Amino acid sequence: MSTAGMRGGGETGQGAGAAGAHRGVSEHGSAHGGHGTETAPYERVFRGERLAQLERLFTLYPTKQACLLPALWMVQEERGWISEPAIGEVAEVLGLTPAFVKGVVTFYTMYHTHPVGRHFIQVCTTTPCNICGAEEVVKALLAQTGCAELGATSPDGRFTVIEVECLGACGFATPILIDDDFIENVTPEKVAGILQRYE
Amino acid sequence: MADELVTVTIDGAPVSVPKGTTIIEAAKQAGILVPHYCYHPSLPSPAVCRMCLVEVEKAPKLMPACVTQVAEGQVVRVDSDKAKKAREGVLELLLINHPLDCPICDQAGECELQDYVFQEGRAGTRYSDYAKRYSPVEDFGPDVLYVPNRCILCTRCVRFMEDVADEPVLNVSERGDRAYIGISPDQRLDHPWAGNVVDLCPVGSLISKDFLHKARAWELDKTASVCPGCTQGCNISIDTRDDVVVRLRPRPNLEVNRHFICDYGRMNYRWMNRGDRVEAPLVRESGRHVATDWDTALDRLGQLVRGMSGSAVILASGRASTESLGLVRLMLNRLSVTAAVQVPLGDEAPLAGIPDLALRRERAPNLAGAEILGYRPDWAAGLSQVPAAGLIVVLDADLSDAEQAIIAAAPGTVVVLGTVWPEGLKNAELVLPITNMAEEHGTYVNRDRRIQRYSQAKSQPGMARPAWWVAGEVLGGPGPSPSAPATAAQAFELLGTRWPAFAGLTHSDIGYTGRLLDGSRDPSAESQRVDMGVV
Amino acid sequence: MGYPHQSHPKENPVLSKHFGDPEARTYDGWVKRGGYQALRKVLGMTPEAVVEEIKTSGLRGRGGAGFPTGLKWSLMPKADGRPHYLVCNADESEPGTFKDREIMRWTPHQLLEGCAIAAYAIGAERCYIYIRGEFTEPFRVMAQAVEEATSRGALGSNVLGTGKRIEVILHRGAGAYICGEETAMLNSIEGKRGNPRIKPPYPAQAGVFGMPTTINNVETLAAVPHIITRGGEWYKGLSLSNPKSTGTKLISVCGHIQRPGNYEVTMGTPMRELIYDMCGGMRPGRTLKAVIPGGSSVPIMTAAEAEDCLLDYEGVVAKGSMLGSAGMIVMDDTTDMVYQIWRLARFYAHESCAQCTQCREGTAWSVRILERILAGKGKQEHFQLLLDLSDNMTGKTICVLSDSCAAPIVSGIQKFRHEFEAYIQGAREPAMAAV
Repeated sequence: MSTAGMRGGGETGQGAGAAGAHRGVSEHGSAHGGHGTETAPYERVFRGERLAQLERLFTLYPTKQACLLPALWMVQEERGWISEPAIGEVAEVLGLTPAFVKGVVTFYTMYHTHPVGRHFIQVCTTTPCNICGAEEVVKALLAQTGCAELGATSPDGRFTVIEVECLGACGFATPILIDDDFIENVTPEKVAGILQRYE
Repeated sequence: MADELVTVTIDGAPVSVPKGTTIIEAAKQAGILVPHYCYHPSLPSPAVCRMCLVEVEKAPKLMPACVTQVAEGQVVRVDSDKAKKAREGVLELLLINHPLDCPICDQAGECELQDYVFQEGRAGTRYSDYAKRYSPVEDFGPDVLYVPNRCILCTRCVRFMEDVADEPVLNVSERGDRAYIGISPDQRLDHPWAGNVVDLCPVGSLISKDFLHKARAWELDKTASVCPGCTQGCNISIDTRDDVVVRLRPRPNLEVNRHFICDYGRMNYRWMNRGDRVEAPLVRESGRHVATDWDTALDRLGQLVRGMSGSAVILASGRASTESLGLVRLMLNRLSVTAAVQVPLGDEAPLAGIPDLALRRERAPNLAGAEILGYRPDWAAGLSQVPAAGLIVVLDADLSDAEQAIIAAAPGTVVVLGTVWPEGLKNAELVLPITNMAEEHGTYVNRDRRIQRYSQAKSQPGMARPAWWVAGEVLGGPGPSPSAPATAAQAFELLGTRWPAFAGLTHSDIGYTGRLLDGSRDPSAESQRVDMGVV
Repeated sequence: MGYPHQSHPKENPVLSKHFGDPEARTYDGWVKRGGYQALRKVLGMTPEAVVEEIKTSGLRGRGGAGFPTGLKWSLMPKADGRPHYLVCNADESEPGTFKDREIMRWTPHQLLEGCAIAAYAIGAERCYIYIRGEFTEPFRVMAQAVEEATSRGALGSNVLGTGKRIEVILHRGAGAYICGEETAMLNSIEGKRGNPRIKPPYPAQAGVFGMPTTINNVETLAAVPHIITRGGEWYKGLSLSNPKSTGTKLISVCGHIQRPGNYEVTMGTPMRELIYDMCGGMRPGRTLKAVIPGGSSVPIMTAAEAEDCLLDYEGVVAKGSMLGSAGMIVMDDTTDMVYQIWRLARFYAHESCAQCTQCREGTAWSVRILERILAGKGKQEHFQLLLDLSDNMTGKTICVLSDSCAAPIVSGIQKFRHEFEAYIQGAREPAMAAV
């Protein structure tokens, strides 16, 4: 279904700033609807093979709407993030309204509503990892990727680092997820070696 | 099954309700309003505000009254310490980020947050160390602004658009305390029934641009009325401030419009406040119209009517009351009358989620009443009789220049009973000032032949009188006429003598939720007494 | 077994026997290890007999609530013409818990066989396995296994040649803890926000797509083939303490422990043995301070409570907490309890779906109070305020997310009040800047 690790598409993080929406509690005051803006003319995602893939999915569920999460994953795999026009396209192919789709997109934290770096790094800092030094891993990642802060993209467009809640690998503290690669037992010392593998 | 009754005790009061009734509705029937926000009788219940938690004997936890169905012998406590503490807790949390801007909020005075906090909230806040959440006001649609800071996320608006309007343009965006009501940037809240979200919003978060800062809720006088916008006959409240209509709002009637009105109807009130009204009877003397008193004007009208023979034409507004249409018709009883009622047409706009509720094409609230009284909606046919008629009565019809020209050229006598004087009718023998529907009591019959009463919401300008009064005085004969009807109710009772559909009915029979004509004793009338319409 | 460590003699590996063995991931490898025999056996039984066998075993839901699995299956309506669904909850997101992940990574066919048996028992032809979005590797392994099992005829339109149809569909989540709540999961599968639903109606009456649905946790379903193969009586006999807790349980152990990992023990095993024998105890020179035994949503236990606790549903309750999902977070004497309680509260505030007032606002406010305390700006009134808020967040909402936020706060204040006092009285350096 949606396991491809490739993160293609034209958009790279163009200084998306603190991309918001990934960490909630400290984000009060950000204006609503803080959605990234698409700069290039929109090209449809659901054409050719992608459309065929979606149509195969339709046969697995009794409603088209049930394909919303998988369809959004496809958009993100193609484009790296989910723009407003993409929301419109998904709504159209599934017979939903853009508002409904946007309500869903903003509920799930793994969907990006802003462009992100070529490699998207998620670090678990919830309690089990936290007591095992996850915050030090975060610091090392920020320092070595050049990302100014959590949620921001590095100036070279290579990385975006965010803190996430429990990745479900607490016995392998600290786990990080780079794109679709799940890496266990990360320590600050290992960060440099890991980053080297991502251009 | 609906007839199977279940008896429960709510705050000590026993009440029997049909099986399947929720605690919140059962409590209403016991005269107890369980505080609530997300629940609304015309929307599906999500049970998210958690304000209606009540204590149910033997249940381990407090139960949401809005979705918990009654069970035989159940003992419910709304006023228990546990339930009150839970409500106090909800209110405290709803207020932590609330701007407390009641002094500039249109909802103040009719705000359920304000009311319940006053009733049972904490006196002070414990959320004193932090800056409040702030988000700017958003423009949602032609008449709706969203003030996120006041929002309590009850989601009534989202559910209305999704489940009732069937056009889900609103959503809950984000989650946790970052959540807010969202709308897509390329969508507008411009559904023909969208304005209802303003009424549904229990706080001042969704507000009407039209009503923005127009009045404080406590300055308003509210009058039960019927929407004059179309043949649907939605029940409304006309809200006035200092005798000026400032807004129309839906008045619940489960049989007609549940809790809703359309935006066309909602905005269709400015004419009620028109300033260019005829304020005194005008009689034509030597080619000029001069103001006079009612005695003079009525004598003149009486002479005209009694002295006339042959044919007459009545050109009536579709907004004229049953009483006025009927008595004007009776006044011309001796003549051969062609009566036409004016029915402007527009687009039909149904409200998808409510059966038989729509803004109707026929924009005439009393079309059905007029037809019972012998008026025909064939306007052209009525106009075609004008040149041959001895008497032409214009009953507040809205005449185009061409129509006025036809009437002005007619050899017959022209009498205008109007809120305004159609200026082209220089030949009018009499121009008699009448009230508009907001200025009188009366009835309309809607498309389902439901007769419904409306009440006077503002005073009439100058010497204007209801048209039925004018006709009634003439019917009563020359000079002082004690037999003439003095009230709309009396005028209505005269109709039954001529038109069987109204026989035996009185205004008080009709009540404020209406009654189906044709003798069918409407079972809904009873159920409406225990007002499920209460929000 | 305590993957990634060698199995300990005190363990009782049933589900975890093949963890770490790549060959067990393949269809042939699994068949070689006795796989799909239970499914074959079941297809010769009536669905009612399968349900009875599970009832006999005493198997209870391993996701956290501990509801008897056989009873849950028996609540499904009889064939009524409507489609029935099985939903497998693989949204493992409870901090401290990582057992389902290992089941999927190493023994995907064990889970698929369990799904097929459960689907057969409840009359479902379709099973959705909802895998959290972050589990990229387990998703790949499972996808491969589904493909293999389907092409080899263990799943699909003609299961093991019997003409029976059982399809398994993987559904990927997208980052929402609350989707592990079963009704939220149903909404998520339907393409909606993962908002928990009001019950009733219960999923057995109206679940996913409005149809009768059973939702089972990964570990629960993975235990099913073993029960079928070896008998409900055998499983029932695996109980060292309370007869209501039967079988083996995977305990995820993490935090300040020598050998973190998954340990499979017989119900009723003393927690002391798990911590000190199987896991090798604390790090050198450190002592046990606290344990959160059932994933982060349960009350915190002190060292004394933990060392005297039996690992089964009743044993943990007797010590004032809950077995929950059996994700054990072990904390030694270096742990700043206030900081970690704040971190947990932040987790819940982040994950609140925003429906219920108490949860939406209460979790976020709790976080802010804890931040004040950690910043050295705490006041004595904050204790009462936190307890009031927690009371307001307990037992009053649609689901138990806000209860879960309150549990560590209340138990933390009860058991580690002095650590809060230290911040409030300035005896401890602030851990963060004031907000």
